[in-house]
Amino acid sequence: MASFASLRNISIGQYHPGDTVFHLLDARVKLSAFILALVVIVIASSYSANILLLVLFLAAMYAARLSPRETLASLGPALPLIAMFALLQLLFYGQGPAESRIVLDWGPVIISTAGIQLVVVSVMRLFSLLFATALLTNTTTVSALTQGMEQLLSPLSRIGLPGHELAMVGAIALRFLPILGEQMAVISQAQMLRGVDEESGGRWRIVQNARRLATLIVPLFVDAYRRSGEMTEAMLTRCYRGGRGRTHLYEPKLSSRDLTSSLVCLAFSGIVIWIAYSPLP
Amino acid sequence: MVPNQRGVQRVVTAGLLLAITLLLTFTRIGMIPVPTPAGNATISHIPAIIGGILEGPLVGLIVGMGFGFASYATATTPMFKDPLVAVLPRLFIGVASYYMIALLYKANRKTLQTLAGVLWALLLVFSWQIGGQTLWLGILVALVSTAAAIAAFIWLQKEDTRIVALAIASVVGSFTNTVLVLGMAVFRAYLTAEVALAVGLVHGVPEAIISAIITVAVVATLRQINRKKAGSKLVRENSSTNQ
Repeated sequence: MASFASLRNISIGQYHPGDTVFHLLDARVKLSAFILALVVIVIASSYSANILLLVLFLAAMYAARLSPRETLASLGPALPLIAMFALLQLLFYGQGPAESRIVLDWGPVIISTAGIQLVVVSVMRLFSLLFATALLTNTTTVSALTQGMEQLLSPLSRIGLPGHELAMVGAIALRFLPILGEQMAVISQAQMLRGVDEESGGRWRIVQNARRLATLIVPLFVDAYRRSGEMTEAMLTRCYRGGRGRTHLYEPKLSSRDLTSSLVCLAFSGIVIWIAYSPLP
Repeated sequence: MVPNQRGVQRVVTAGLLLAITLLLTFTRIGMIPVPTPAGNATISHIPAIIGGILEGPLVGLIVGMGFGFASYATATTPMFKDPLVAVLPRLFIGVASYYMIALLYKANRKTLQTLAGVLWALLLVFSWQIGGQTLWLGILVALVSTAAAIAAFIWLQKEDTRIVALAIASVVGSFTNTVLVLGMAVFRAYLTAEVALAVGLVHGVPEAIISAIITVAVVATLRQINRKKAGSKLVRENSSTNQ
């Protein structure tokens, strides 16, 4: 449980002020590019495509003056879990598709090239995903993000779906991610001070493990509810009344910069997908 | 226009529950690795259950959808790389919990006991059917369900019916997740039916127990339902002086 302390350093979801190209882009462009990046990350399953993706994301992080190390630091508490998970997958994946070779065959433990590829690629994927999320959320203010989502979802409002409300839910979730992460670290330390056992009781002691987890999760939920009550009140006192008929002080316009970056994004996505489907490993 | 407080509260709460879901999923705190074909036991579906119970089906659906997309994005096994397996079944977690709690929250002890009896009978029929194919699995299911039924009856005698209703709703939500995901995985031919059933028992039962414990604890705290035995002495003394 002590490891949750580093949840404090979670940097995803926090706005880092700046004046790079990424900061100046329209939120709609960044959101669309983010969704495109998610699709590409999910499609790309070969080594070469994932390496190219990582290089592209690192270059973009550098261009946006964000620190990749800081982004990866938010993984800190989960690293042992990720490592254990990767190991289990490596050991128990089995032979996989027919073209994969078996590297080690030792009783029930079979390590195949397909298994190794799955583990390595899924770790690279996780990094790409973190970088993509950091690029979006660290360079966009929450109001710009909400407005962008709302505008992208506005076609849905015409067929009766609550576009504005959905955008609001998404924006609140992203904004509260680091706050709740920090809260979780605080709660775990507070519970340790009160003498909550931080060792797990073994895999099969389900009830004890759940109780231990509950000492962490229950205060987190209660805290989230307290925050939601406060925030509702704050929104109501500022005369928030939902999406209908709401106007904005500044209506963002797409510039030539936005157009160029969209084209660059599309081109890079095309290249990565092309490499993913090419015979390269 | 009069501001709709309940509506605003729902939007904000959905956002916060979604944040908890993402926190649990992306940091993998809520994904417990186990060496079975499905890869993970999860507690990340609990915010969807709580959203469904406290804020209604729509919030449950939105939080469930967020959980689906998060597990799709962080998936490492091929079966969760399929949105039909990863996203679609998750929509129903909170919805199922909501309808269960709507049905049971006002129910009395007798109704709940009858319901438990019916469920036990259904499980016995089910185990008999499985026993026809694989004998040991059928016997196992029968034994587990009988033990669960006895435990449920003893528990029903003592506990506040609202707590029982909450526990049932969260168990139903949890099993909605397990059954629909594994059913979809079988339907899309990622798993065979027997493997799915074994995975369902190995994952589904612990997940259901954990989600019941956590949901009851959270909702009872938020709704200020006094539990008979739980809670520290200090809290009880304080609440009596407050009254």
